[in-house]
Amino acid sequence: MKGKIVVITSGKGGVGKTTATASIGSALALEGNRVLLVDMDIGLRNLDVVMGLENRIVFNIVDIVKGKCKIGQAAIKDRRIDNLFLIPASQSDNKDVITPEEMIRLAEKLREEFDFILMDCPAGIEKGFENAVVAADEAVVICAPEVSSIRDADRIIGLLFSKSITPKLVVNRIVPEMVERGDMLSHEDVVDVLSIDLIGLVEMDDQVVVSANMGTPPVLQKNSKAGGAFRRIAMRLNGNEDLPLVVPQVPNRFWKKLGRKIGLGK
Amino acid sequence: MLNGIFRKIIGKGGDSSKDVAKKRLKFALVYDRLDVSDDVLEDLQRDIVEVISRYFEIDKDGLSLDIRESGDLSALVLNTPILSKRRDTS
Repeated sequence: MKGKIVVITSGKGGVGKTTATASIGSALALEGNRVLLVDMDIGLRNLDVVMGLENRIVFNIVDIVKGKCKIGQAAIKDRRIDNLFLIPASQSDNKDVITPEEMIRLAEKLREEFDFILMDCPAGIEKGFENAVVAADEAVVICAPEVSSIRDADRIIGLLFSKSITPKLVVNRIVPEMVERGDMLSHEDVVDVLSIDLIGLVEMDDQVVVSANMGTPPVLQKNSKAGGAFRRIAMRLNGNEDLPLVVPQVPNRFWKKLGRKIGLGK
Repeated sequence: MLNGIFRKIIGKGGDSSKDVAKKRLKFALVYDRLDVSDDVLEDLQRDIVEVISRYFEIDKDGLSLDIRESGDLSALVLNTPILSKRRDTS
């Protein structure tokens, strides 16, 4: 087995990296892949709570790297989804405790055991980013349609290119109503500014908060708009690259229908 | 939707907030991508002022140095009020 390491990154914090990692990873495992999620945010771990696995942590990524335990001992097996595992970050160390060389060595071993290894990258461009990216084969940049997020994404994209990685873009938290009235950048605007290929469009979805409350990835929630979008992103990562993009739409309302009848609007 | 109808009736009006956002972003990214720090811009400005001052009397406070995007190119734009020509250069 020669797995693929995909880093999920954004530059700016709070745009949905961890939710995306949990969701895309779960969806890949549901498709039958052997998937490992790695929380690289050492000192500020979160992927464990989003996945609802915080009570089962014994060892963490730092323990593995420093030889205190084996990969199999630290990887927590998800009980809801087959073939899904999580290696949590350490909460007590700081980001400098692991070196890029150690990450490259670890990555070699992980590729032998899993089809997909998703690295949840910390915010920022310092050592933590370096460690998460150093062994990556592919990268997914998560970006919200707002000025600060896009600016930071641009910086991250530049850094990834300098490491010979061509990232794919996810525009997250799209509010179609706001896009329609010109108060939110559309995904076309974002792509125009960042000029990289899209791999998914995710609508703003209250269910994501509910999922995080419960510790269940949104892909397991029925009728979750974000969950569906993340499932499609997973399919594209899994080789189904031609799967068409679904653009979040404003629900069909009375006024819209009427507007169309009298020849206004799209 | 109602908003959309009003806009159609009244005409486009001013830029929507996302247009403003996009313009600001593009401008910010020009600087980011060139990776020009404020220090470098300051040094550049000092050197340019020194050269121009050999030929013209200029208002150093009124000088502005910008990097602007025009199409696919970035342009360095220097604006300076000239007070007078230096006599010794004639």
